[in-house]
Amino acid sequence: MAPTSFRFLKALGVGAMSSLVLMACGGGNQQSQNLASDQTLNFPILGDFGTLDPAIADAETDSEIQQNIFDGLVKFDENLNIVPDLATAVPQASSDGLTYTFKLRQDVTFSNGDKFTSKDVLYSWNRAAAMQGSYSTNLAPIDGYDTVAKNKASGAALEALLEKNDPSVTLTGLTAPDPSTVQVKLSHPAGWFMSAAAMAGVTGQVVDQNAVKKDFDNWWTKPETAIGTGPYKMVSYTPKQSVEFDAVDNWWGSPKPTVKKVKIDISVTNASTAITKYEQGGYDIVGYGGYANLPVADILRIKSTSNESSQLVLHPKVRTYWVSFNMVSDSSRPAKGPFTLDGGQTAHDLRMAFALAVDKKKLVDTVCQGIVCTQATGGLIPPTLIGYMGDNQDPLAKFDPAKAKQLLQSADPTGAKTKGLSYAYDPENPLNVGNAQFLQAQWQENLGIHVDLLPVAHSPFIKARLKGSYVLSRDGWQADYNHPQDWFDNLWGHVVGCPDSGCTTGYNPKAYNDLLDKADAEPVDQAKADYTKLNQMLIDDVVYIPLYYSVGAFLIKPYVKGAGTNSFFDHYWNETQILSH
Amino acid sequence: MFTRGTLIYIGQRLVLIVLAVLGVSSLVFLGIHRLPGDALFSEHLHGTQYELTLHHYGLDRPLWLQYVSFIGGMLHGDLGESLVNRGVSITPIVVREMSVSAEVGIVALLFTIGIGMSFGVVAAIRQNTWLDYVLSTTSVVGYSMPNFVVATFLILAFGVWLDNITQGTFYFQIGWPGRYGTIGAIWLPAFALGFPYASIVARLTRASMLEVIRQDYIRTARAKGLREWVITIRHSLRNALIPVITILGPLVIGIITGGVVIENIFGIPGLGKEFATSILNRDYNIVIGVFTGYAALVGLANLGVDLLYVVIDPRIRY
Repeated sequence: MAPTSFRFLKALGVGAMSSLVLMACGGGNQQSQNLASDQTLNFPILGDFGTLDPAIADAETDSEIQQNIFDGLVKFDENLNIVPDLATAVPQASSDGLTYTFKLRQDVTFSNGDKFTSKDVLYSWNRAAAMQGSYSTNLAPIDGYDTVAKNKASGAALEALLEKNDPSVTLTGLTAPDPSTVQVKLSHPAGWFMSAAAMAGVTGQVVDQNAVKKDFDNWWTKPETAIGTGPYKMVSYTPKQSVEFDAVDNWWGSPKPTVKKVKIDISVTNASTAITKYEQGGYDIVGYGGYANLPVADILRIKSTSNESSQLVLHPKVRTYWVSFNMVSDSSRPAKGPFTLDGGQTAHDLRMAFALAVDKKKLVDTVCQGIVCTQATGGLIPPTLIGYMGDNQDPLAKFDPAKAKQLLQSADPTGAKTKGLSYAYDPENPLNVGNAQFLQAQWQENLGIHVDLLPVAHSPFIKARLKGSYVLSRDGWQADYNHPQDWFDNLWGHVVGCPDSGCTTGYNPKAYNDLLDKADAEPVDQAKADYTKLNQMLIDDVVYIPLYYSVGAFLIKPYVKGAGTNSFFDHYWNETQILSH
Repeated sequence: MFTRGTLIYIGQRLVLIVLAVLGVSSLVFLGIHRLPGDALFSEHLHGTQYELTLHHYGLDRPLWLQYVSFIGGMLHGDLGESLVNRGVSITPIVVREMSVSAEVGIVALLFTIGIGMSFGVVAAIRQNTWLDYVLSTTSVVGYSMPNFVVATFLILAFGVWLDNITQGTFYFQIGWPGRYGTIGAIWLPAFALGFPYASIVARLTRASMLEVIRQDYIRTARAKGLREWVITIRHSLRNALIPVITILGPLVIGIITGGVVIENIFGIPGLGKEFATSILNRDYNIVIGVFTGYAALVGLANLGVDLLYVVIDPRIRY
């Protein structure tokens, strides 16, 4: 028997523990009392998603929705670190950097009850590689990709090939030793592979073959076949009007969804109309689904409205805007112009003059009203992403009109070289119009050069720009995943096809390509320094004029707890709660 | 009312409408393929990826072959698949959006005729009184203002100010509930769409009524002791309506095409909203589908107006 004093202490301890448990329970009750009885989240997207099929998804809206319906083996967390999703852990590469072994969770089911196994990963990734959607190249390092990428079969014919594991549509480097293991063998080291695999809503996501094969191309449009492993499932979809998702009962992951229904209105395409409806109480959020580019005039009005200003959430996003020069003159690139690399130091000075002649701070204050963008002073990659060079590290971001004028006078004393220039841009985005007018005024004011403005509709603009049709053009990039390879592979050098294919500037020096290949093969920690050198190379050659990093604007009702964004994507719906209001 | 000749006439007109729809859609099909840019192109889609996508839609085939497939599909009621929303069939979208636009358009037409005729009749029978001046001024203001200005002002007044004044208890809520909407969602956009045309109808009705009420047969009717409302409605208005019906055709077309602006402002998922977004997105198949829908709507609306003549004026026979 324990001494009396010890028994007293024990009793005290039990009492204290009980109190704590009761308090904890009480807290829980308090919290559930604060939750609204109707856990429905309403928000608009200002254009329908292109697809919810991860194999061919392309737009930001597609992935913002899909991240709540599908899962990959790994994903980015709120702080953009790679964390396990359907895998039990983030695997390390083998010593040669070629093999990754994913151990899979065994408690995962699809929303229709089908059990998730390694076979589903093989089917999803082989299918995505064979369908050659916009992000199929995320799987490009996997052994056998080049063969699968040549596939021409589609629809039911492709499904038949996938069913029988036909070699033409099977990534040889993708194997499943057992139902809970997936082994990925790369054809060459690619330090960025894990980041690409973690990208939400695209090729790395897992689909259910039983559902997909019922309607290979259109399965995602119908609630009965739009099946994923995520916390929400589609319950209705009327294209271009509305789509609804319900929380999956007994979902395997965490946190368990509190919001039971998500209603997305697709009928409103005008941002100002959506804001008015939000102010009427028709929506809980505006800006979700990739539509955080709300009109500046509305943002200014809301900022000055006392009861609404606190609902405005401004958050840096992962998009950078700059001006590109045509850097290469060859028979495939029609633009030519005075800025090309074969123009030597003179062309370099001209590019530098154009860069230094632009007051970027004034541009941010004028065009963005100091709200929807921030000055790009740290290189191409915006803050919060791996590869950001640091504040004020990009000399091209400086404004030095005197030096600009001096450089121009030495490079083009007669003005003949810079006569008849034009700046091409796509006017659908109002900021592009403001930028163009601002740049024109700055070059006129600080260099005395008149640059014509050439507005071109977005699609033909991008097409022509990537064919090297413009001497000066609006350029920009939105990060797909948190790895510098996403920027330096896709915009310059031989990987994207420069100088003559899919390349705005044509920039393709051997030194850039060699360093790019080295960096792409390295683990990210090692590669960071090399990617910074690549950015420095672009700076030294004055390949671009940095303008700004974009800022997303959201309106979120005070009773929507947990809603918001990081620099990449909207918060997951299952992290959101509707409080009593 | 509808004789055999009328029915034959309707049949002929329907055949002509089908031919016109085919003609319009063919012209749009051929024209839109000449436009620069396309819906499929993206910064991420390169080489084989792009070619496979073109192949999926059959856009890698010669234009004449695409045209043959398109006509074949049209005759089977299949307008194809959206280029932007891959996997989404266009025909159900266009049919649904036509019904939405038709709903708004019909209510707008009721506003146009109802308000226009009421204003016109009252202004005529109270000629040169303060009521005439007020209604005539309102009409002038109405047809001087473009419908997007009317729409924006109405949203401000009924959607924002009224919401603020009544503390959110009574206001116009923007949006389109369900597939067919509700009267609460339709009346304001329909009013914005119909009001400028109502002003035209009011002016015309007033002028027409002023002419009719001075006719001998009206004096005779009054002399034989008919009640004033019988004279106004049965004898004056019926005859005054003929010129109004004549301009109803162009007005209906105006209302249908005016929906492009109104539907975008009010967030109504109709053909008008689709018209704007599909062109901006270069979604060829939907653009063709929308034009086809518009051609059919305009053709049917004109036929409907022509048949109204028979109802209003017994002398007219087809």
